[in-house]
Formats: sequence, C-alpha cells, structure tokens
Amino acid sequence: MKRKLGTRSEIITDGDVAISVKDLHKSFNLPTEKSSSLKQVIFNRLRGVKGYRRQKVLKGLNFKIKKGEFIGIVGRNGSGKSTLLKILAGIYYPEKGEIIIDGNLVPFIELGVGFNPELTGRENVYLNGALLGFSNEEMDAMYNDIWEFAELKDFQDQKLKNYSSGMQVRLAFSIAIRAQGDILLLDEVLAVGDAAFQQKCNNYFSKLRNDNQTVILVTHSMENVRKFCTRAILIENGEITKDGDPNEVANAYTKLWD
Amino acid sequence: MNIPRVFNKKNRILLSELTKTDFKIRYQGSVLGYLWALLRPLMMFAILYIVFAKLLRIGNDIPHYPVYLLCGTTMWSFFTECTSQGIQAIVSRGDLIRKISFPKYIVVVSATLTAVINMLINVGVIIIFALINHVEFSPMCLLIIPAIIELYLLSLGIAFLLGSINVKYRDITSIWDVIIQALFYAVPIIYPITMVANTSPLAAKIILLNPISQTIQDIRYGLITQETITTWNFLNSPLALIPILITITILVFGALVFRKKSKFFAEEV
Repeated sequence: MKRKLGTRSEIITDGDVAISVKDLHKSFNLPTEKSSSLKQVIFNRLRGVKGYRRQKVLKGLNFKIKKGEFIGIVGRNGSGKSTLLKILAGIYYPEKGEIIIDGNLVPFIELGVGFNPELTGRENVYLNGALLGFSNEEMDAMYNDIWEFAELKDFQDQKLKNYSSGMQVRLAFSIAIRAQGDILLLDEVLAVGDAAFQQKCNNYFSKLRNDNQTVILVTHSMENVRKFCTRAILIENGEITKDGDPNEVANAYTKLWD
Repeated sequence: MNIPRVFNKKNRILLSELTKTDFKIRYQGSVLGYLWALLRPLMMFAILYIVFAKLLRIGNDIPHYPVYLLCGTTMWSFFTECTSQGIQAIVSRGDLIRKISFPKYIVVVSATLTAVINMLINVGVIIIFALINHVEFSPMCLLIIPAIIELYLLSLGIAFLLGSINVKYRDITSIWDVIIQALFYAVPIIYPITMVANTSPLAAKIILLNPISQTIQDIRYGLITQETITTWNFLNSPLALIPILITITILVFGALVFRKKSKFFAEEV
C-alpha cells in the first residue's frame, strides 16, 4: 500500500524505501493574543491586526528511510521532531513538500489514547484496540495475552480510575506492542515505568531490531539511540543538521549544551 | 470521499466503540443510569403538558393531544441533543484528534448516534402511550421512518457545519443554545399549528417551511391523526418541497465545509 501526502506528483517506486520525505515545510499560526472568541476576532479585524503570527516549524526536510532501518530522531524541545512525527502519522497536513509512505504505518504518539477513567479495564482495552485499528475478532484473540503480559489479570473488571498510573501504562503498553505494521512510529512513549517495566521495553526494542522491523523512534535518550538505532537524525530549529551513524549523532546532540 | 472507504470495517468498528463509550459515560455514576434516557424527555413532556394543556388549555380540540404533544417534545429533544452533542464533538474529542489519524466525521456521527438511540427508545414509549390512548394505527405510520431520517440528516448537517466552525470559535456553542431557545417557539410543539393557521395562514405557511416543523407534523400525521396539518396538505404546491431542499442544502454544505476544515482540526482543537 502506498500513501502519498503533499503536493508534488511523481511517485518513485523504489522497492527499498519505506518513507521518502522531500522538501517538507510546516508552519503554525500561533495566536499572539487570545483570539479564539468572536469578539476578539471582530476587534482585531477592525484594528487591522491579524491576531496571530506565523511560526515556521519545519523548514524543508529531506530524507529517505529504508525498509528495516531503526531510525532515531533526536533534537531539543521545540525543534520540530514531534511535528514531523505527527505529519508522518497523518495527524497534521504538510504545508509544502512531499511524503511517500510505502506500507502500513502504525503510529504511537502516546500510550493509551482514548483511555477513559470511568470505563473498566476490559472496555478500555477494546476501545483502545479499535483506535489502533484492530477488529473485534483480533481483540478477542489477543485479549488474554494482553492481560497476561500486563500482569493485571485480576483488575480487568475494575474501572480504570482505580488503577495506579503505572498500571495504566503497563496495560496501554501491552496493547500497543500487539500492533503489527510495516512501519512503527514511536514518540517517547516508552520513557515511563519502573525498572522492571523498562526491561520489558528494552526487550521489545531488541526484538524489533532483530526482526528488522522498520521503526522511527523520537527520543531524548541517547542510550537508546546508541543501543538500538541503525541510523539517527538530529533536528535543530526545523532543519536536519546531522544524519547518519547513531553514535556520531548522539555525540552531536550532547554537544548542543557545551 | 468515496463511499466504500467511508464505511470500511475499521471505521465501522471505531464508530461503534466510540458510540458505546459515549452512551456508557453519559449516565455513569447516576443511580438510575440508562433510565434517564427515558425519564428526562418524559419529565419535560410532563411539565409542558401541565403548563400548556392543563393550565392554559391549549390543544383541547386535538384528538389524543397528550400523545401529540409527546411526539413533538420527543422529536424536539432529539433535534437539540443531536445538534448540541454533534457541534461539540470535535472539541470534546480533541485528545483523540491530536494523537491519532482517523476520519474526523466518525467523532461527529458517534456523538449523534447516542441521541438516535435515545430517540428510538422514546419512540417505543410514544407507541405504548398511543396504544393506551386508543390511537388507531394505519399503514400511514410508516411515514415516520423517512421523517425521522430527514430530521436526523438535518441535525447531522448542522452538526458538521457548526461543529467545524466551533473548533476555532467556541462562541458557536453559546450562540446555538440561544438559537435553540428561539427555534423552540418557531416550531409547533407546544401550540397546535391550527391555532396559528386560524389567525394568520401566512404565518402558518412560514412555520411549516421549517424542516423541523415539517418532519414533526409528518410524524404526527402518520402516527396519531390524519387531521394533522402538514406542509404538503397545507401548502398544496411544489413549495412544499422547500423544507426537503433546505435539509439537503444544509447537509451537503455542512459536509463540504467539514471536509475542508477537518484537515486542520488536529492543529486547532
């Protein structure tokens, strides 16, 4: 399955490439004052003030990701890496440029999307599964494994609000790792939990790496970049400043503070 | 937007899960739970019945007036619930929209489906009431099906249109509350349309051009008594098509605006 976002027309059919990004731009309108009310809008119109300023977040990114690569995307807060991820996930629309995605892409911008504290664990599992694109039959089939893995079997009929935050993360994680996609997008989702849970995350990453799964991981952990990534990309102020060996990129990232 | 993709399996599952959640959450923590879906419109009906039918003595000349009134209040509740929930859907589901990519209309449709479920339960109550009141059913009662569908499509169109504007300008929610209040008196719910027709036929005609009036009168005509004044038997001209045209226009225009704006919901909500 090929999915194309953006404006340009030619599609390169390069069998190796999972994601191809060309000259990707994105800007946001940031309100300079509270302009979400009609009163303020009319006021601003009358005074000739726009009420917002345009912030360039991504300034022409170019890169290709090959199938089987484990890519780390690093950068300081506000550098644009999450925006990039959200565009790849289809949540934001690119302003200019072209993105070609070859394969089924499964994004995890956050664990436990749609979790509702008033619903039971069971109900939340099915809701979250539907949001991740699982059918009811698929959910039925993996239901027991999810609870087994989360080690929360006795809590499945409790409301989610009675779970500790750690338990909620464990449950969300157990559902998330069931996702089967050609490309996985992970945004810092696995930076939570206790030591035992971190161990499970590491095992999961290692498995992805060994299976040659295509992964894009946005992270601040240089340890993970060095350990799992086959390649890393450093983004500064909406531009790619380094792309290549994960160790070199991790070093360049740490040097940003020197 | 091609139809097979709009209703593919993945989207259908998502729609049903979100609707189930909405319905469960609505009555969480209340003692009577789902019963409120029944009790609320019945209580609203009781108040209106006491004030207008008993105290002000309106509608005494209409056969089966209590059922007639219940019909109007039920459909009105359906319309207000459908539109208010639908308009707020995108904003109240902002957490999902910011974090996953899925067709945004699912959120609006799921919010309105809760109102549809409530309405269907209440139609059951109307039918029971009608049986108790010895209303004679005719094959004409099937007329309520297209009428309800029309009312739903109108509500959906309004929800799409105003819901997409509401993402940026939250004033819409408050404005719509006021419009709802005004519309309530512009639709023959508590007063019979005959009252208006006797003093000013022109005013009655204008009232009947409103698709909400048209559908409510059609439902009363089909279900309760064929003495009911409807848009088509009162206007008796091609003008009677105007309410249907209004509905189609609002639905198509609403869907187009929604499709155009939905690209940027994730950034703006």
